[in-house]
Amino acid sequence: MNPLAGPATPHRGGATVEFQHVTKRYGPDTAGAGAVNDLSLLVPAGKICVLVGPSGCGKTTSLKMVNRLIEPTSGRILIDGADVVAEEPTALRRRIGYVIQQVGLFPHQTIGENVATVPRLLGWAPARQRERTDELLALIGLEPALHRDRYPYQLSGGERQRVGVARALAADPPVMLMDEPFGAVDPIVRERLQNEFLRLQEGLAKTILFVTHDIDEAIKMGDLVAVMHSGGTLARFGTPSEILADPASDFVARFVGADRGLKRLSLTRVRDVPLAPALTARPGGDAADARSRVAADPFGHLLLVDPLDRPIGWLDPRKLPVSGTLEASMAVPMSPLLEPETTLKDALSMLLDASVQAGIAVDAEGRVLGLLTVDVIAGLLNRR
Amino acid sequence: MSGWDWIAAHLDDIAAATRDHVVLTIVAVGVGFAISFALALLIHRDRRAYAPVTAVAGLLYTIPSLALFAFLVPITGLSLLTAEIGLVSYTLLILVRNIVAGLDAVPPEAREAAAGMGYSALGRLLRVELPLALPVIVAGLRIATVTTIGLVMVTALIGEGGLGQVMLRGFTLQNYTAVYVGTAISIGLAVVADLLLLGALRLATPWRRALER
Repeated sequence: MNPLAGPATPHRGGATVEFQHVTKRYGPDTAGAGAVNDLSLLVPAGKICVLVGPSGCGKTTSLKMVNRLIEPTSGRILIDGADVVAEEPTALRRRIGYVIQQVGLFPHQTIGENVATVPRLLGWAPARQRERTDELLALIGLEPALHRDRYPYQLSGGERQRVGVARALAADPPVMLMDEPFGAVDPIVRERLQNEFLRLQEGLAKTILFVTHDIDEAIKMGDLVAVMHSGGTLARFGTPSEILADPASDFVARFVGADRGLKRLSLTRVRDVPLAPALTARPGGDAADARSRVAADPFGHLLLVDPLDRPIGWLDPRKLPVSGTLEASMAVPMSPLLEPETTLKDALSMLLDASVQAGIAVDAEGRVLGLLTVDVIAGLLNRR
Repeated sequence: MSGWDWIAAHLDDIAAATRDHVVLTIVAVGVGFAISFALALLIHRDRRAYAPVTAVAGLLYTIPSLALFAFLVPITGLSLLTAEIGLVSYTLLILVRNIVAGLDAVPPEAREAAAGMGYSALGRLLRVELPLALPVIVAGLRIATVTTIGLVMVTALIGEGGLGQVMLRGFTLQNYTAVYVGTAISIGLAVVADLLLLGALRLATPWRRALER
């Protein structure tokens, strides 16, 4: 294939990945840490398959056998029907995206150089590398002009993780391997990165193998979840709702946890539920008008938003001036901001943490979409 | 004849001796680096080579310089070769250790990412590992260079020595101006060489400036 002929923009589409009776032994002991025992599974093109299990269950080993950083003892791994051992390891790896927990950005290269790693290895023309790099930085929400020439140490942990994802996407690989890609950042940043990645994946439809030890992350990210048992055997393979509804074994039930009912909230996202309309006002608006509108509203809270509809904070109706105009300084601290991709489980936990009745759902630009109340979530729980 | 008059009368000699001193040093550090680099790569590929290589380099390092030259003269004569063999052997321990330490200090995640992204073994070494090892490698080069500038003096005893010759003659003729001139210039050379290497490192590693801020 002529590397110069590839598309300049990300195109949709992945490849199927199939494990056929794959076994990896370290020494004579078949159940040693990191070993894999007769793993067979098929990941359809364009799906996210999460490998999850306790440490030493062989999930990372399984991942690394796909790009041949580890060679299986027996069995085959096929990408779109072709055995991975048929190809030179370096050529194979250049068409498989790879993201690791510690990110592994090259500290001596700029962000732009890091992102262009695989295109450079593939011999793309410099102009095309630059174009692709800027496109990817914009895609992950980093202004290219500001970040292209900076070094990894000048970025926050979350930004570095994003750059790691951009670097893996650079040559538009059909398959991505992600080993705890959001493991090294704090829970709030992780939640945002997960949402961003799911949003990206909607447009990209890559085939993704994703390793985590966190069952909540597995349920949230996976179209399919493979629960692995220590000793490297596959304990359960199915969609998140299948696994939550029927763990099928004590091990999986224990691993999934006693709060299975609550976890099913992870399968529903903010965008899937009806949001209550938010009563809003802008700084400079008429206070008397705002008072009368709040009085007529059953929820009885007024949200102050900026001219672009982005929330500033709540206005306490009892403290509103009788006349005059509204000001940003009157707003009190905000409820948690929920994104359309946020799961109801995360939303509920954020609302409980903040001790508020309602979260503010915002779109990717931060504009108010509506309110999600604890009552709505509780209503969904009762229906199950 | 006052000291300044002596200097004025011998400017050509002093310049020639300084030039010799610099050449002896550059050849010694250059050859020493080439040998050490090859040995360090061997160790990087196979750890079992580390103990024997550093044992031999360490043994060379502990032989007193005069004894080493006394041992070599019957074989290679009072020659430039003898001087360089001695000087090169003293650089090996420092350079091998620092190159290996530099390669060891490469973050394992950068190495793993490079492999996973499809770098060949050579490409990974040249584009990822060596650039990241550079600060530690240059630290070794600085020590080796400054040490060698001092050791070149000793080779005056076998007819080389650069500024060592100037000093040796000064001692013999009780001309302390010559001794001071030799000392001052060699100290100056060491300082300049050290600063040049440090400056080159800073130019070659812009990513560390970002780190220091």
